[in-house]
Amino acid sequence: MFKKKDKEKTAHSMPSNILYFVKLMFSISPMLVIGELFWGVLMILPNNLISVIGVKYIIDTVTERKDSGRIFLAVAVIALVMISSTVISWLFMEFYWNKERERLYYGINKKIYEKAKSLDLESYDNPEFYNNFILTIESSSGNIQNLMVLIRVYVGHIISFLAVSSVILTIDPLCLVIILGVIIAFMPLSKKVGSLAMERRVENAKYHRRSDYFQRIFYLQDYAKEVRMNNISPLLIDRYNDAADDVIKNQKTFFNKIALCNFMQTIGVQGIGFLFILPLYLGYCVLVKESITPGDFVATFNGAHSVAMSFQLLTVWALAQFTEQGKMIDKYREFFNTESKIKSGEKNAPKTEPKEIQIKNLSFTYPGNDKPTLENISLTIKPYEKVALVGYNGAGKTTLTNLLLRLYDATEGEILINGENIKDVTAESHRDRFAAVFQDFQIFSCSLGENVSLDVDPDEERVLESLKHSGFDKEMKNGTKTELLREFDQEGVMLSGGEAQKTAIARAFYKDCPYVILDEPSANLDPVAEYNLNQAMIDAAQNKTVIFISHRLSTTVNADRIYVMENGRIIESGSHSELMELNGTYAYMFNLQAEKYIKQ
Amino acid sequence: MKSKPRKQDKIPVLKNAIFGLKLVWEADKRMLIGMFAAEIANNVLSMYVQNILFLKVLLSIIDGNADFKTYFVSLLLFFGTYLAVNVVSTFATRTKLISSKIVLKNLNNKIFRKATSLDISCYENPEFYDKYKRATTVLSAGYYETLCFCAASIIGGIIALICVVTTVAVVNPMYFLFLLPVTLVFTIELFKSKVVYNLDREMTKNNRIKAYIQRTMLLKDYSKDMRTSNIFAVMLQRFKTAIDANIVILKNYGVKLFLYSMLSSLFSDFIPVIGTYAFAGYQFVYTNTLTISGFSVVLSSINSVRQSTMNIARSFERLTQMALFFQNLHEFFDYEPKITDGSKEAGEFESIEFRNVSFRYPGTDKTIIKNVSFRINKGETIAVVGVNGAGKSTLVKLLLRFYDADEGEILYNGINIKEYNIASLRNVYATVFQDYKNFAVSVSENIMCRECSAEDKKVAERALEQSGVWDKISSLPNGADTVLTREFDVNGIGLSGGENQKVSVARLFARDFQIAILDEPSSALDPVAEYKMYENLIKVTENKTVIYISHRLSSAVLSDRIIVLENGEIIESGSHSELIANNGEYSRMFTLQASSYKGESEGNENV
Repeated sequence: MFKKKDKEKTAHSMPSNILYFVKLMFSISPMLVIGELFWGVLMILPNNLISVIGVKYIIDTVTERKDSGRIFLAVAVIALVMISSTVISWLFMEFYWNKERERLYYGINKKIYEKAKSLDLESYDNPEFYNNFILTIESSSGNIQNLMVLIRVYVGHIISFLAVSSVILTIDPLCLVIILGVIIAFMPLSKKVGSLAMERRVENAKYHRRSDYFQRIFYLQDYAKEVRMNNISPLLIDRYNDAADDVIKNQKTFFNKIALCNFMQTIGVQGIGFLFILPLYLGYCVLVKESITPGDFVATFNGAHSVAMSFQLLTVWALAQFTEQGKMIDKYREFFNTESKIKSGEKNAPKTEPKEIQIKNLSFTYPGNDKPTLENISLTIKPYEKVALVGYNGAGKTTLTNLLLRLYDATEGEILINGENIKDVTAESHRDRFAAVFQDFQIFSCSLGENVSLDVDPDEERVLESLKHSGFDKEMKNGTKTELLREFDQEGVMLSGGEAQKTAIARAFYKDCPYVILDEPSANLDPVAEYNLNQAMIDAAQNKTVIFISHRLSTTVNADRIYVMENGRIIESGSHSELMELNGTYAYMFNLQAEKYIKQ
Repeated sequence: MKSKPRKQDKIPVLKNAIFGLKLVWEADKRMLIGMFAAEIANNVLSMYVQNILFLKVLLSIIDGNADFKTYFVSLLLFFGTYLAVNVVSTFATRTKLISSKIVLKNLNNKIFRKATSLDISCYENPEFYDKYKRATTVLSAGYYETLCFCAASIIGGIIALICVVTTVAVVNPMYFLFLLPVTLVFTIELFKSKVVYNLDREMTKNNRIKAYIQRTMLLKDYSKDMRTSNIFAVMLQRFKTAIDANIVILKNYGVKLFLYSMLSSLFSDFIPVIGTYAFAGYQFVYTNTLTISGFSVVLSSINSVRQSTMNIARSFERLTQMALFFQNLHEFFDYEPKITDGSKEAGEFESIEFRNVSFRYPGTDKTIIKNVSFRINKGETIAVVGVNGAGKSTLVKLLLRFYDADEGEILYNGINIKEYNIASLRNVYATVFQDYKNFAVSVSENIMCRECSAEDKKVAERALEQSGVWDKISSLPNGADTVLTREFDVNGIGLSGGENQKVSVARLFARDFQIAILDEPSSALDPVAEYKMYENLIKVTENKTVIYISHRLSSAVLSDRIIVLENGEIIESGSHSELIANNGEYSRMFTLQASSYKGESEGNENV
């Protein structure tokens, strides 16, 4: 069972990872990192020193009947140290740290987001990478916070540990030996507790994933109707209980062990060490040997606690935390080191009027798949042509448009626009030539205008015109400035499926570019809206090349050219009437759909 | 900045806390017992026994110059006490941690049962649903543990506090003066937490924006748009605006927070610590009454008192935060479904009749169904057509009693459907919804909705054949025993949209239903698959009553009767040929949709 941990080898060592991230933070906000170090020392050292040196000084003054003026001097020094360290700490936190942390968060996230955007779409298909990717982004703010606390506490305790230890050393070296001896003797047990707790979490996560799923079914709206119409809840509750029982069993197994180890560790270090052996020795020194003063007794006793606390933090806790953070940071580095496979060319693609698009012997296999999704596709799209891609689910239509947009690179073959390979120009400028409305288009939580322009500072007039073309006629309170979605704006407008689709289609009208790709543009539209859209498309896209994918063959009738795809190949092509004449797959599909209309 | 924070509704903390504790107590008693025992033991141990009692006795011996043997005996005695309390705390902690998961299980069962009895309207009413979601976080976010912990640590803290204060009072009542301010920290922390709460609330919107932007960067759904447009710039701009807004808010709160923090330090550190030192100096120099033990004990007790008051304040604050969630849970358990059960069993289907039915979703102004009347007889195939938002799906919801009509009545076999037992009424129907869902159980269990016997599996197989997905399922290593989705089973299978829909449709084929309701069942299918599914549906539903909802008119042609809805009203009804002859809205829509097929086909096809 312990083998599991070894398998999680990181690419870089833990210190290297921590250093990497500290450097990253330093590059964004050097003052924050330096401030953290001082803050850590200020928070921990003064209090610990007062409880050791301050107390000893006063008790010794009292027991040895020394000059009484010294006691007030001591009080004054203690007051000064306490007050100044506290004031500086709070000033730093409330006036600098709080704000600077937001800036740091912004800086790091901006880097992550920019990297994320530059990644190949392929990365999303690779579950292992994708999980890393999610982890990196989701944990970024928590990571920053954790690491800052960690550094602060770590540095503070190192200084405190050294300072207090040397005080004890001057009192009686044997005391320090006892203190450290006890702690080190029980170290293996502390480690064991740590690894047991880790194992428990891993095991529990497995069972929790199951029980959480069933919990979700009952908690979420999505399943409500299905659960009510089918008497499936007894089965689901049974399954939940199975998973919950596993969690309980797991909990029992581990906590029996953990509780025992914990108990032995506490009793050993705290009980036997600090509450028995140490005071026994100290009592012996004061009462029998008379080698130390009562002030030394109290100082050592208090010191033992702070040394133990620092030691525990520095070794067990900090080690575990640093290791954990190190793993996270390792994923960060992996993420940042990911090279995009889609290499941009040198030139900027010219944004001219539509030119000829040539696809030559194109083949494509999704990474990790054996079966090619596209096989040896060749076709030429003339300027201003309206081209339809039709075919069964999974025939490769969407993949073809993905390649056209260079969201993926073809495994074989090439794509030329105006005779120039699309790999020779920068990916960004290439994509800028296209407006694409995807089947799974998204509405963003920003203004209607920005949703249409998909850019900052939308041109209001053009937005309105584009929306008119796409048939969007919903009355909006603040016009194009109306915020969409209710993610964080209570006033945000929720669009219906059809309205959302029209908004997405308007993007194609808005973007000033020669080529338009539409993937199932009318899937959410009712017949009237679909008809209107077809008309608008023909009118508005006259000076553009349009490539569209459709299941509903009624929309393809007016296309200049139709490509029928099956299993990654083009099996037929031609205009509607040519294909009907051919009487092949297209004609078969068309008739299936048309049958009921035509029979009338 | 001067705007007053809005006054919120006060949520009774104590009442909700007691409700929550009772709930946990009923679910499994061991958790609360363990929690209280552990917290009291821990608090008394760390705040009192370990810190103060120990020092006091040992030092008094040193003060009084006792001999080493007495010292040794009292040390042993102490060690014994320490051990005993620790045993209690260890055992209690273990009990509580295990019992916590039992509580989780039992409470979840309770919630599940209640959730299944909720009206659908609860899910569709944002206000209720928000509350419901918050109520469930009591379990999903472990708030039930937090509640018990807070209650236990308040009690434990108070007990420790009493022990400490008594000890100090015995040493010298004067020291009280320096401990008193420490208790003020409780009040200061409460005030400060209110400021922090307001700060958080002001930042909520910005933080939500931050989370949203993060999501758009994270999910594959957004990845294509991010790459092919400049929406990234819009998102980054929003992100920056949110951060800047947060910085301004933090700046505004800086002085306030600093003052509260300083006040807190003043009372918890400066006055007690410096005061104690100064008083000790005074005693030493002027009254000559200072003892080492007294001085040390008071110094240590400052720490203990500060720790326990802070703990109590923190627990109290968290308890206040928890109150809302438990109130929501309370309301959830108290919710009485508005759709009430009748007593009659729904017998074999003869007819359904809508009589002047009108309906409006609760909390909205728009009437979705207006004065609708129609009748469906046994064996009929009915198509309900109309544009998006015409009220088609709502009609189905009324039929299934997901909602009750505001006006008019719906009759099943001539009797108002409200008089039937809901389960028996719903059992009459087999449904395939537009937003169908499959579950992460095996394929055959998905279809049979229960643990499957060998016979059940055969039925499931036949149903899968009919819905056209058996080829795919039988090719899997575990066949129909394969669990859907890879959510938590590595051997599970993630089906495509079309395949998933076919599994969902198979559920209908496997059931001995009397009426089938099909709400746009073919939306995820390609033309050929769609065609095949219809063929099968027609076969299976022969002699059965079918209600068919679609905006694709082609599917309406074969039905016995078509009901055309517009803005919640029936504007036309009749068979396809009647409606075409009528030359009304249906005919207009049909011609429109058919024009592209027809216009071109006539030339090429001679149908």
